Amino acid sequence: MYGTGIWRGMWITLRHFVNTYVDDVKWGFQRHVPPEAFPVRQGLQGRGSFTVEYPEEKIAVPERFRFIPFLIVENYDHPERPGHDWCTSCGICAKVCPPQCIWIVRGTDPETGRPKPEPVDFYIDIDICMNCGLCAEFCPFDAIKMDHDYELASYDRTGNHIFDKQHLSKEFRYWQSIAPTVAEKEAEARGGWEHKDVLKARAKEAKAKD
Amino acid sequence: MGPQHPSTHGVFRMMVKLNGETIERLEPVMGYLHRNHEKIGERNTFIQNMPFTDRLDYLTSLSNNFGYAMGVEKLMSLGARYNPPTRRAEVIRVLMAELTRLVSHFWSVGFLMNDIGAFFTPMMYAVEERELVLDFFEATTGSRMMCNYLRFGGVANDLPERLRSEANLINDRVRDFSTMDYVWEMIFERLPRAVDQFDEYLTTNEIVTNRCIGVGTLTREEAIDYSAAGPVLRASGVPYDVRRAEPYSIYPELEFDVAVRYHGDVYDRYLVRLDEMRQSLRILQQVYPLLKATEGEAFFSGRGGMYSPRVPAGESYGRVENPKGELGYYVVSDGGQNPWRYHVRAPSFINLTALERMCLGHKVADVVAILGSIDIVLGEVDR
Repeated sequence: MYGTGIWRGMWITLRHFVNTYVDDVKWGFQRHVPPEAFPVRQGLQGRGSFTVEYPEEKIAVPERFRFIPFLIVENYDHPERPGHDWCTSCGICAKVCPPQCIWIVRGTDPETGRPKPEPVDFYIDIDICMNCGLCAEFCPFDAIKMDHDYELASYDRTGNHIFDKQHLSKEFRYWQSIAPTVAEKEAEARGGWEHKDVLKARAKEAKAKD
Repeated sequence: MGPQHPSTHGVFRMMVKLNGETIERLEPVMGYLHRNHEKIGERNTFIQNMPFTDRLDYLTSLSNNFGYAMGVEKLMSLGARYNPPTRRAEVIRVLMAELTRLVSHFWSVGFLMNDIGAFFTPMMYAVEERELVLDFFEATTGSRMMCNYLRFGGVANDLPERLRSEANLINDRVRDFSTMDYVWEMIFERLPRAVDQFDEYLTTNEIVTNRCIGVGTLTREEAIDYSAAGPVLRASGVPYDVRRAEPYSIYPELEFDVAVRYHGDVYDRYLVRLDEMRQSLRILQQVYPLLKATEGEAFFSGRGGMYSPRVPAGESYGRVENPKGELGYYVVSDGGQNPWRYHVRAPSFINLTALERMCLGHKVADVVAILGSIDIVLGEVDR
């Protein structure tokens, strides 16, 4: 019969409309989704609307989420080298960066004039960065990682969008907090929670003692 | 029409010669989104091109990765010291490619409905399912759309054990699912139900049939002559699918049918997409046990931390069946760090060439529907 298709379609629309409120009724018409209901309503069991009222509630991002990279520095309360860069300015991240937005200034030892394995400055143009994560993937020292903080809006784009070393540096503790399981896996591969060089030096020392 | 017309799917312009409201001539004007993709590809090293391929057809980034990875792997296999991708990697790749196909077809059917006047209601039903798949992509690859997940010889990361989020901003809400359960529920329950519902919702709808049947017909010969690909070709009665014509990855061992319809109009393209979604689900349901069986195996066959793989001189053409059609990467290497020539056969671009043929004699409102049925993504058309 002509028109049955439309009615069947309308029936599905109606079902969707009712479903939108089924979850609301179940969780008591709260304006923001209660925390225990959140995973249910935002997952495969979700029947109603997926709306998240953004500034009041946000969907936490998964551990592997990639946004603008940041540099890892040693925790500021570290006993031996507080605030020390993990980066050795080897330049692999700058080389592998597809849009070429990383600029590293390598440090030199003032006494000998030889290059020092730490960056004096480190710039990332975040307007150019495409968040591909290759720098973090290929860094041999786990010194550059992808951040989770996606709220980067600023009023001035001329001065604020080229991040320097001070802006990029974050404690190792922060990386552990945003990606615990990933950080643990990396630590396993390195052989400890410390920086690769520290671990190497320690192993050497232990060997010398023997 | 265009380039800022709301139903041109991006910055795309059509020069249309009208007689009253009937189309007499139509000429697509492309290039508003030209980004020099191929030239940039020649500057980049091989691995650096991978994130750029995401940006071709930004709805199907994982399939785009797949094609490029295959192209370069073919080239690498000519040289010494090459390990083919591991089984686990192939299984994950197919899983991702088929999920991408579902997502893309959901999106395209939703937008087709938008174009013929069913504003946003069907599209939102489609996007709802897409959202859930993208959540899975985000937790696995790190990004919802620009996945950058495949590497030469495998994938960048194994599937995570849990799709877990970490609260680190103010007001963050946490979700935590077991990955395998999530995938199971997605491909065995939620998505099949959604596809069936879509079918019931739209296929017999009189408004849809009135607007779509007999509109934008492309005959079998014409489709071949314009070298159309994907759903546009298969709706015209040519059962050509790269997954069957030149099987790659683990497709030979999977059971699925090539969806084909014979009228070549907008409605048949829509039906082909629905059929393909069903076939994709069938593939996914076969992939799931393989995924279980290969759990814990290596997902990458190359050496870790190798940012410039050695690619011998030569040329290769890697092609995959993208949701939009056959996507091919022609890579020529002179043995150096970057490709000497890098060319992309973009399906939406080539399908667009048949637009005039489909539109002649129809009304202006039909052009919009026909354009919607080709399912273009401007990122890929202009590159």
